Amino acid sequence: MPIFIQKTLYSLSLLLGVTFISFMLMVYFGPDRSYAIAGKNPDAAQLEEIRQQLGYNQPLTSRYLGYIKDLASFNLGLSESSGKPVARLLAETIPTSLLLLLPGFLIGNLLALMLAMIAAWYKHSWPDRLLTNLSLLGVSISFLIIIIVLSTWLCTPQGLNLFPSRGWRVDGLSSWLTYATVPSLALIFVTVFFNLRFYRALLLDEMEQDYIRTARAYGAGPFAIMFSEALPNTLIPILTRLLFSLPAILVSGSLVLESYFGIPGIGKVSFDAIFNADQPVLNAIVSLSAVMIVVVTWLADFIYPRLDPRISQHLVVR
Amino acid sequence: MSSSLNQTKPADPIFFPQLGVLVFFGLIVVLIIMAVYPLPDWQVISPDRFAGISQEHPLGTNALGQDIAARAAQASWHSLRIGFIVTICAGFLGMLLGLVSGWYAGRWPDATILWLTGVMEAIPFYLFVAAVAYAFRQLSWSMELAMVVTFWTTMTRLVRAEVIRLKQRDFILAARAIGLSPAKTLTSHILPNALPVILVQFSMIFIAAIKAEVILSFLGLGNSSTISWGLMISESTQEVIAGHYLNFFSASILLFMLIYSVSLITDSLQTRTDPRQGVA
Repeated sequence: MPIFIQKTLYSLSLLLGVTFISFMLMVYFGPDRSYAIAGKNPDAAQLEEIRQQLGYNQPLTSRYLGYIKDLASFNLGLSESSGKPVARLLAETIPTSLLLLLPGFLIGNLLALMLAMIAAWYKHSWPDRLLTNLSLLGVSISFLIIIIVLSTWLCTPQGLNLFPSRGWRVDGLSSWLTYATVPSLALIFVTVFFNLRFYRALLLDEMEQDYIRTARAYGAGPFAIMFSEALPNTLIPILTRLLFSLPAILVSGSLVLESYFGIPGIGKVSFDAIFNADQPVLNAIVSLSAVMIVVVTWLADFIYPRLDPRISQHLVVR
Repeated sequence: MSSSLNQTKPADPIFFPQLGVLVFFGLIVVLIIMAVYPLPDWQVISPDRFAGISQEHPLGTNALGQDIAARAAQASWHSLRIGFIVTICAGFLGMLLGLVSGWYAGRWPDATILWLTGVMEAIPFYLFVAAVAYAFRQLSWSMELAMVVTFWTTMTRLVRAEVIRLKQRDFILAARAIGLSPAKTLTSHILPNALPVILVQFSMIFIAAIKAEVILSFLGLGNSSTISWGLMISESTQEVIAGHYLNFFSASILLFMLIYSVSLITDSLQTRTDPRQGVA
């Protein structure tokens, strides 16, 4: 069987598993919506009728199939707390989250890569050891503590009071800087220390290769070695790291940042949905982000052979 | 590899290799002192709000006049308990699945386990926990359950890779040739050789569980019947704005001490047992 079909079938089987778990948790064991819809003091016949309408009486398999059909056609229903269509809610909030998180995520990764290059070049001497020790210290500080310290320092009269402590009224670069700087700084801090050691290990492995030693013997300097030799050859694992941490950052990172800073992005929407047991919203976010990860994995398998022809010979295992 | 060119062993990258153990013992000493010191009950509300450091309240009181030291002690035990429960359950689950998967590599048990790993890794963790917490809301340990169900996957991947690597070695082939059962071969020949990887992963799970518990209880998704570092930090976000830092510092320093010491110890374990470092 060609690898293309094999990988696509595997991705489809993952999708089936992911949607089944989301369905079981969110719909099957999820909130019973009949009481909310029936209003106060419903009698048994009314409840039965609503359950019939919601499809609660149907067998598991047909409910699951209906669930997949709705998901595939983006028929996500209405939010229970706000009454808005869930698809529109997502379309409104995802751009906000991307605006909030992407710059910090990219800057953090770039910074980590630069520092990792310094560490790898000065392997086992003091800059490397300093960075290793700093990154162990950095990953040990909780994200929450970083957020609270930064916002107390930069956003309250206790400290410098330079930025607003909550909110999001962004219509241009200067207003973006006003509201996104402090959350981005927190994100950069976490991203740098989370990735530094990983990138360092990657580059160190590459530095031990013979072709690098040859290049060094020919007198190539640190910049030439790092940017034109080591970096292109470590691009695949770096890209994998970026691709796979992006959905996690988007969903989990935004959950904490947006609920703390009161920013109306996808994280705030999920946070509110969790506490209001707003099943259609939560269901859409969980299912769609899981589907997104599977699709990213599937896409990666097709991008990689173009970047590195050696890969097409065997399956990529993340 | 470079070891053939460069025979000197590289220095331990950590400045003070003993620092991890030192910080860990520091934490234990603090916890023991808090356990023997006559503190008020952690739940008792008193009119003594935002009290400073005193003999009665060694770490002051919070906005409700509750003793911070007593709450910090209770929270520490709570976090440690969750950390150990999740680590042991998820670690052993991951190990078992990894052993089976690696042993039957390429056959259906392996394919099933790998598929399950892929599925679990695709679902965003915090939302999964929220959903599990909701679906099993009558259980007080729904958060632990959600963590166990998601934290085993990396262990499985690592153990599987180790088993596949070791399976081809002569001593394993010999063990199988003399008729040793798969279970016996796995437990007494493969497992001991995979132990360094497994131990490191156990402490990775521990760190992840402690961090996740803090974030979940900060967000209000944790067990609200007890106190935890995340809840203390969550309370303190209002207090630091008003200039009361004791609650925040107590919780965050204890949390930092635990994560930092375990990270340092894990790190030296990793460098010492990494076969590529040539420590043999």
